Amino acid sequence: MTWTDEELVARSISGDADSFNELIRRWERPIYALAYRTIGREEDARDVCQETFLRAFRALQGFRGQAKFSSWLYRIALNLCHDWIRRERRTPVVQAPEDVDLMALAAAAGPSESVEDLLARKDLTRAVERAMALLPDEQRTAIVLKEYHDLTFQEIADLVGCPLSTVKTRLYQGLTVLRRELAKSGGSERPRLRSVAGRTS
Amino acid sequence: MRDTHCDYSGDRDEALVAYLYDDIDPAARALFDAHLTTCAACRDELSGLAGVRARLGRWLPPERQPAAASRSSPATSHQSPATRRTWWREIPAWAQAAAALLFLGVAAGIANFDARYDSSGLSVRTGWSKRAESAVPAPVRGPETNAPWRSDIAALEQRLRAEIGRSNNAGTTLASVATRPDRPAAALDAETLGRVRSLIGDSERRQQRELALRVAEIMRDVNAQRQADLVKIDRSLGLMQNNAGMEVLKQRELLNYVLRTSQRQR
Repeated sequence: MTWTDEELVARSISGDADSFNELIRRWERPIYALAYRTIGREEDARDVCQETFLRAFRALQGFRGQAKFSSWLYRIALNLCHDWIRRERRTPVVQAPEDVDLMALAAAAGPSESVEDLLARKDLTRAVERAMALLPDEQRTAIVLKEYHDLTFQEIADLVGCPLSTVKTRLYQGLTVLRRELAKSGGSERPRLRSVAGRTS
Repeated sequence: MRDTHCDYSGDRDEALVAYLYDDIDPAARALFDAHLTTCAACRDELSGLAGVRARLGRWLPPERQPAAASRSSPATSHQSPATRRTWWREIPAWAQAAAALLFLGVAAGIANFDARYDSSGLSVRTGWSKRAESAVPAPVRGPETNAPWRSDIAALEQRLRAEIGRSNNAGTTLASVATRPDRPAAALDAETLGRVRSLIGDSERRQQRELALRVAEIMRDVNAQRQADLVKIDRSLGLMQNNAGMEVLKQRELLNYVLRTSQRQR
């Protein structure tokens, strides 16, 4: 039997630990993806993801079901991401340890994905990451939630606490900046929007 | 970007975004459809933004296996989903603290690893943050800022100690969930140790892969810089050869002049 999120929450509150594990299994990937695209660093996104579930677990008693569980979880994750961004901006760079033999370490590494593949993938996404990094937090958040989590404008508005029209404006402004920046980095892409392609032809 | 000739009656930007994401009510869609048939500017912009969406669609987070699947030890992998427990709930708080501290220590060493080969030679830097040019100027801080992760480690340690304290008092906290009376203590210890090792192994593999990537990037940068240097050297050599040739020509002309003058005097 498949339980809904809200049913799993109720069971978790009543002491069924496996129900909370099921919630983690369901939402771990989306939360990690949200964190990664918001803060841009794999390891830190993992930390944010774990911290999100820890906080959710601790605050589960306070969850009254006013919003969907996923929205509640997204809000926790976004708050943690914004905390991380604030903290990161005031942290200085440190010097590398001098006694690290980089070549020996690299030679000993056995990556599951080849370095060449990794480089190709990095090159492919670097332009997008750079362009996204230029956006103000609120525009980036709106784009990530809409583009990758398929939330409606209304859901995003409820989640970030702003009017519906503001969400659309942020998306428009953010996409316009991205368009300009991606054009600078070169390369073009054919539109994949089925609705646009179909309706404008 | 916006064409001033667009005469859409409503809020054009909002309508365009709603249409782009197909999150629009039917009446508004019909209105915008009709508008698109006559407005080239909106058609162009819609197409451009759809292209942006296509690029965004290729931005994937690095591969990540679910914690429940990737972090289970072989000892628990045979368990049914109903009885499987998430890794962090089964590991005692002290082990979580040890693994976290170790991970932070390793990560602090090579996080944000940055190596450059330029006119000033090869330089290597690491850190938690972006490079200085992309960040807000750092405030002047005391000597302890040379190792910013120390405060993170201390904070984490404090948190985990608090967690341990709570778990000792309350019977339903994370660590205590794992302690089941039907399992011998030795088995639990072995299992825990295995998981901590697995965690550390995962962490090391990730760090090594990241390092290999960085080294490959360095090699690429070094090659690019070498090519640029070679071109520069080639140009300099050409210039020198040219100068030398000019000098030889001058000497030859001078010699000819001297010879001509001496022949005339005879």
